[in-house]
This record gives sequence, C-alpha cells and structure tokens, in this order.
Amino acid sequence: MTISHHPPEDLLADFAAGKLEEAHQLVVGVHVAGCARCARFVQAVEHLAGAALEDVEPAPIAPDAFARVMSAIHESPQETAAPPPASTTDPDLPPALRRYRIGKRRRVAPGLSLRPIELSGSGQARAFLLRSAPGSRMLEHTHTGTELTLVLEGSFSHEGGRFGPGDFDYGDDEVDHRPIVGEEGPCVCLVAMTGDLRMNGFLGRLIGPFVRL
Amino acid sequence: MIAAIRALEMPIRAEAALPRRVAARLSIGASKGPKAKVDWADLIGRVASDGDREAFKRLFEHFAPRIKGLMLKAGCSPDEAEEIAQNTMIAVWRKAHQFDPGTAGAPAWIFTIARNLRIDSFRRRARADRLQAGSELPDEPDQAEAVDVLISRGQDAARISSAIKQLSAEQSMVVRMSFIEERAHPEIASALGIPLGTVKSRIRLAMNRLRDILDEDA
Ligand SMILES: [Zn+2]
Repeated sequence: MTISHHPPEDLLADFAAGKLEEAHQLVVGVHVAGCARCARFVQAVEHLAGAALEDVEPAPIAPDAFARVMSAIHESPQETAAPPPASTTDPDLPPALRRYRIGKRRRVAPGLSLRPIELSGSGQARAFLLRSAPGSRMLEHTHTGTELTLVLEGSFSHEGGRFGPGDFDYGDDEVDHRPIVGEEGPCVCLVAMTGDLRMNGFLGRLIGPFVRL
Repeated sequence: MIAAIRALEMPIRAEAALPRRVAARLSIGASKGPKAKVDWADLIGRVASDGDREAFKRLFEHFAPRIKGLMLKAGCSPDEAEEIAQNTMIAVWRKAHQFDPGTAGAPAWIFTIARNLRIDSFRRRARADRLQAGSELPDEPDQAEAVDVLISRGQDAARISSAIKQLSAEQSMVVRMSFIEERAHPEIASALGIPLGTVKSRIRLAMNRLRDILDEDA
C-alpha cells in the first residue's frame, strides 16, 4: 500500500501529545498504525515529550503517594485488564476498529451507506464508516467543522488528488469537496466529523434530511 | 541528567543563535540534579525481571513529581495531576516487561503511559458531565491505549533520536512548548524572545523541518 496523503504535522503532534478528541484520535491513529512515515513523526514528538518530562519543574507529590502506589502494586502486580474481546469479527476492518461497537449499516442514498461507530461520548465529533458504490459521486457538501477521512478500501478523487487505501484527507470549512469514487470497487472510508454537513446541489437537498448520524 | 547531555549535544551554532533567555533556561536545566546520567532503562529492566523495589523507588522519586509537573503545565487540576502521576507509576511497574530499551527511551515511554491515562481521565470526566446533563451514552471501555498499541515503535529509534538532534534548540523548544506543555503563544513568544506574530510560523517551520529530516534519512 503506497500512501501519498498524510495528516498535517500539527495534527500528528496533537495526536502524539494526546490532545485529540476520540473520533479524531481514532482516524489519525488508524492512519499512523499503517504508515511508517507518520509513526516515525509521532515517535519523534513523543521523544521530545520525554525530554520535556525530564526538564519540567517537578511538582511535590502527596506524602503517602509511594505507599499508595506500592499497595496498589501489591494487590495486583500484573496487568489485570485483558483487552476487551473483539466486538466485531469483520476481518476487513483494521484491528483498531475491531474493539469498537459498530452500528448497523444505514442506507443514506442510492449507492451510499454508513455505519456509525460508538464512541464513549466524551467528544463532539462523530465517527462512522462510509461506503459508496464504485463510480458514484459522493455527497456534495461543505461543512462547518472539520472532517477527517481515511480510505480503508477503494478510492476517491477530488481537486486535491486521488486517495487510495491508507490515504488521509483533511477537510475544513474552507474546502468544498466534490469527491468521485473510483471505478475499481466500492470505497470504504473511516470518517470523523464535527459540525454540520451542509448539502449542496440537488442530490444534497434530496438526501440531506436523512444524513443524521 | 539527560538535560545536561542534550544541552551538550546541541550544535554550537544553534546554541550561539539562541536568545539569552533560552540559553539560560537550558543551562539551569542542565545544572540541577546529579551529573551522571541515570540509566532509567536499566532500572525498568530490574523492575521487570526481579520486581526490584529499590529500582522502582528511584524511578518513582524521579518521575512521579515530573509527571505531576507536566500534567499541571498541560492544564490538569492538582488532584487530577496527582492521580495521573500515581497511576502512571503503577502502570510503569505492571508494564515494565513491555518496555523495549531499543525504543525512544524511558522518559518517552513513561510520557506515553501518562498521556494515555490523561486522555482516559479527560474522557471519563467529559462523559460524566454529559451523563449528568441527561445525555444517553453507550457504556464503553476506555480506548486511548487501544489505538496506541497498534503503532509499532522501535525499528526506527536510532533514526528518530538522530533527527531530534538535528533540530535547533529553538525548534525543539517551540514544539515542546506548544504541543506538550500547551503554552499559549504569548508565553512562547516571551520565553523564546521572538515576536508574537512569528510564533505560528516558527511552530510550522519546526514541524516541517522535523518531517524533512525524518524523510531524508529514509
Ligand atoms: Zn502517514
């Protein structure tokens, strides 16, 4: 898989610093897990974070902190929490997504369906899997917030280029997306979205009311 | 002290180009603490293989107050910072066998543990607020680590530390201050002695430079 579109550096740095909300962390994380180049960048920022940790002014810790830590360790010296069992068995999904509950596929328009990903509810952005039929024109839309898209399967193209598996697309309210799905097969994307979708054009007005995620 | 070693490794010209305040800050960092570099990786190894409490105590005494300090700087409340510091140290013990000394190093590893705990703590709080406000939310386990564990670390450790060394002192400071310590731009401007209007472009330049150096070595 040749990846040609990567998240912007500041988004990767926010990811490494732990500042992204859940939906964004998920989409960036799935990209980084499959992209050696971005994994290096994230590790470099973590390395800088390690240096910051070494240099920071130490803050006095509670007097009983060490005793409390030792008694917690004494109670269970090993990690107890085994990773929760995979909630989805779909082998086509990236491993990171197998631990999430993924809702039923909902058809939103001819050739277009989505499956919401259940997040913990701590953030504002929603995450979902978007599947569009080969050759179809995806939602013609602008949005009021940001939209992160990671291609899992198939491809789409818009004025920014062609996006295939592993490619990451970053959209904000200044971008007017008119993506067209590649002919080679359906396109499945992992999407994190904040703000409202504003449908443009006839197709948008037609299906707009149904795109409530 | 790693700070001392890092300061020594800075290229001379970068050091010379530094505004006085940064140079002062770096040398203050370098002068505190013992001169000898403590081998944190070795201590973590002893915790993993022998459950060595002495080794763990040294790790605790060094890192717990620093984790708390960093969390305070990044905007946590004192209680939250204390809790994250303690939970990070518990996790350091429990995960000691997973630590790979070939990776970015002990401080970076400990940072990632603290970071993931902070994400979980933040999300729990945000969830609680929304539940209290009457939202119905799914019952989901904490996931910060779930995504993180998929990222492979280690193959590129040498390349990454050599790339970091190629950044100027100002460039690594600007990334640290804006992303890790989450300082406001006016604060960054005054700490580095640069005009407020250039902070944004300095951050972007530093990030691009880091990306370029990492790509060059590929
Ligand atoms: Zn990438």
